[in-house]
Amino acid sequence: MASSDLKSAALMDQMKAHFSTDAGKAIAEKIGLVYQINIAPKKIGFNEEIYVVDLKKAEVTKGPYEGGKPDATFSFTDADFLKIATGKMNPQFAFMRGAMKVKGSLSAAQKFTPDIFPKPSKL
Amino acid sequence: MAMRELVTGGAACAVPGSSSSSNPLGALANALIGSSSQKERLQEIPTSALNTSGNNFYSEEENPCRSSWHGGSEFVSGFHAANDNRLAEVWDGIQNPQIPHFPGREGPPQRVLSSFLHSFVNSSHGGVPFGPTQLPVLGLSEGDKRCIRDRSSIMARHIFADKSEDFINGQVNALLSSLEIDNHALARGHISGRHSELEQYWNEPQLLTPGPHTGDGWADEFAQRRVGQQDPNAWALSFERQHGAGGWASEFEHEQAQMTSVDRMAGANIPSLAAMQQTRMLAHTLAQNSNPKFQNSKFLQFVSKMSRGELTIEDNQVKPSLAGSGDWANEYQQQYNAGPSSWADQGPDRWANEFATERAHHGPVDEQWVNEFSKLQVNDWADEFGRQVGEGVLGDDSADNWASAYDEYLNEQAIVKQKSETSRGVYVFSDLNPYVGHPDPLREGQELFRKGLLSEAVLALEAEVLKNPENAEGWRLLGVAHAENDDDQQAIASMMRAQEADPTNLEVLLALGVSHTNELEQQAALKYLYSWLRHHPQYGKIAPPELSDSLYYADVARTFNEAAQLSPEDADVHIVLGVLYNLSREYDKAIESFQTALKLKPRDYSLWNKLGATQANSVQSADAIYAYQQALDLKPNYVRAWANMGISYANQGMYEDSIRYYVRALAMNPKADNAWQYLRISLSCASRNDMMEACDSRNLDVLQKEFPVWQEKL
Repeated sequence: MASSDLKSAALMDQMKAHFSTDAGKAIAEKIGLVYQINIAPKKIGFNEEIYVVDLKKAEVTKGPYEGGKPDATFSFTDADFLKIATGKMNPQFAFMRGAMKVKGSLSAAQKFTPDIFPKPSKL
Repeated sequence: MAMRELVTGGAACAVPGSSSSSNPLGALANALIGSSSQKERLQEIPTSALNTSGNNFYSEEENPCRSSWHGGSEFVSGFHAANDNRLAEVWDGIQNPQIPHFPGREGPPQRVLSSFLHSFVNSSHGGVPFGPTQLPVLGLSEGDKRCIRDRSSIMARHIFADKSEDFINGQVNALLSSLEIDNHALARGHISGRHSELEQYWNEPQLLTPGPHTGDGWADEFAQRRVGQQDPNAWALSFERQHGAGGWASEFEHEQAQMTSVDRMAGANIPSLAAMQQTRMLAHTLAQNSNPKFQNSKFLQFVSKMSRGELTIEDNQVKPSLAGSGDWANEYQQQYNAGPSSWADQGPDRWANEFATERAHHGPVDEQWVNEFSKLQVNDWADEFGRQVGEGVLGDDSADNWASAYDEYLNEQAIVKQKSETSRGVYVFSDLNPYVGHPDPLREGQELFRKGLLSEAVLALEAEVLKNPENAEGWRLLGVAHAENDDDQQAIASMMRAQEADPTNLEVLLALGVSHTNELEQQAALKYLYSWLRHHPQYGKIAPPELSDSLYYADVARTFNEAAQLSPEDADVHIVLGVLYNLSREYDKAIESFQTALKLKPRDYSLWNKLGATQANSVQSADAIYAYQQALDLKPNYVRAWANMGISYANQGMYEDSIRYYVRALAMNPKADNAWQYLRISLSCASRNDMMEACDSRNLDVLQKEFPVWQEKL
């Protein structure tokens, strides 16, 4: 089994692969920011897995960002992250509800939209 | 609350002849008070708005049936004049129930209470004093009473804003005495500041000397009020806690659940409303800081104005809002359509900047307030809610309902109730089913399915399983139809019923494995796939039963590989292997398995789709499109393949193309929620914000006209 039990890990894997495509690179170029995303299985802040979505270098890595300070850091639960990435939940509302925690620059955080994620296809 | 109860003057109803509009108003007031928690704001609402609303209540009173309800927009603009778009939004949202709801007149205490409270709310339009009424024994706890007392005091000041203080007190006392609530005995002590964290934060870095205490009246007033006994936040929360299920909140949710289309205004206003709500909370928090210099700061004044809607943010420019102009809604609409839908362009970074500048004048510049603020909100919202759910205060079901309904509301989702129920694996039946009463709905369903009329087949099969709830084949085919219609939640719900009726059906077990894989639920998927192997007449013997107690992916995969070696000509075992490799995201192996299976079953359209989806997920979109094309050649109405096609184009950055395919999928199944969400994203990426409104209102006619699928592409 894949190394993570999180549903979001599947999407992160897909995003990683997506950055190897022209479409993925174009998105990275457009945003050009580094996001650190902390994903908790059930409750924000507990047993988080940390991913860095680097839209400067067009790559996804696991573990905290090592290139300094990310432009914005988000914390989600697994389910909420998926909802946001697939357009089921508006990030702004997620923020207001406390379903999304933000650290760092608010203007960088505002560029975090479902547009940057590839969509999973269904069997 | 039952419209009938009010219209006919039910036992609990003090003001007979009022209308269902009380219900939205109650919800509206709830939404307003529940989150803004600012008595001061409520008092500021101009009386003109209330008069307007009153007039409209009358107009509805004369024509209580929904079809004659034209006063809505007038009502709404009345609120607009009051410059509180939040009210308008909430109103719009709940004004739309498509299915009238008539619960019984005799209700449980909660219902009687809620009806009574609504009649209290309604008493605002006549200006008639609200008389004490005889009520059945409701069994209110002390906590309930406190909540009602606190809440009604605030409510009254809102709904009777044009009346004198004495009048208001009279009204409240009448209400409380009817409910046998003592207005004084329940007074409670001061509740320690909920925002101590932020206060502390502010007090630390701001090394400022206290200055004269003038300046922002709002903030001062707020601060003063706060010292008093009634902490508005506390009662709002405690009310939610105790009445979340049965009180106004659930009424609100209930109305939401009945919405079948989302009001476009509600959708349009969301970005600015969001900013307003955000600032309102911010203002609230900041107002609690006792530092006078801070109280006088421009930033706080700015935020206060934002939160009252006196200022709006347009294209990152702060503008005074057009008070009194009925056109502001249109303006928002245009603004919303013009700019990209991403919140980036509408967001409040202007105030962030302003704040930073402000801080620069006063002390150490530190952008970290954002962090602190978000931390604070987590405490306020998520933790609080989580804790309540944890304590079971709301009861399991209601908590779930509440959470999902609110969720869906925010996401402009229409089918709230369905959602919250399907997510728990409960099958949700269609409301109107022409096949109920059909002599042989199963046969009809099979025939429709064969013809590729999936949504029709779903209805016929629903009729079948309503008639014969133990018919595994009915449930199974229903599940297949939902999966092909791109609705995995309903597919899972049907397949679970099929499995109950026939626990060892291999097709059912495989379908459950596939659907759970799609939903990324690894453990559940693994369980069903292994179950498939266990019950297979040929491979059952190589599957050790003890393995099903603690499933490890590696063991399961190894056993399946053994099975494949046992009979390499069995397409099914390769299909299951392919699904299994999808689960572990070993896409190359998965593709290989599906290709092997396709050699054995070249006309299996769902197999072509599985191959395509796997290729798409491993970023081989061009190959995926070829595979989907094969599937669609075999089954032209295969909604899932159409939607997947859209995804593949979107993932290649070809948004215009993706839009056509999503629209095509939705034309065949307007209930495919995923496709709606993806369509919205593609519209935004393709800068087709002109079509956003059609998307949000789910207007397929407009969308299909604008985005036809080119014939040569098929």
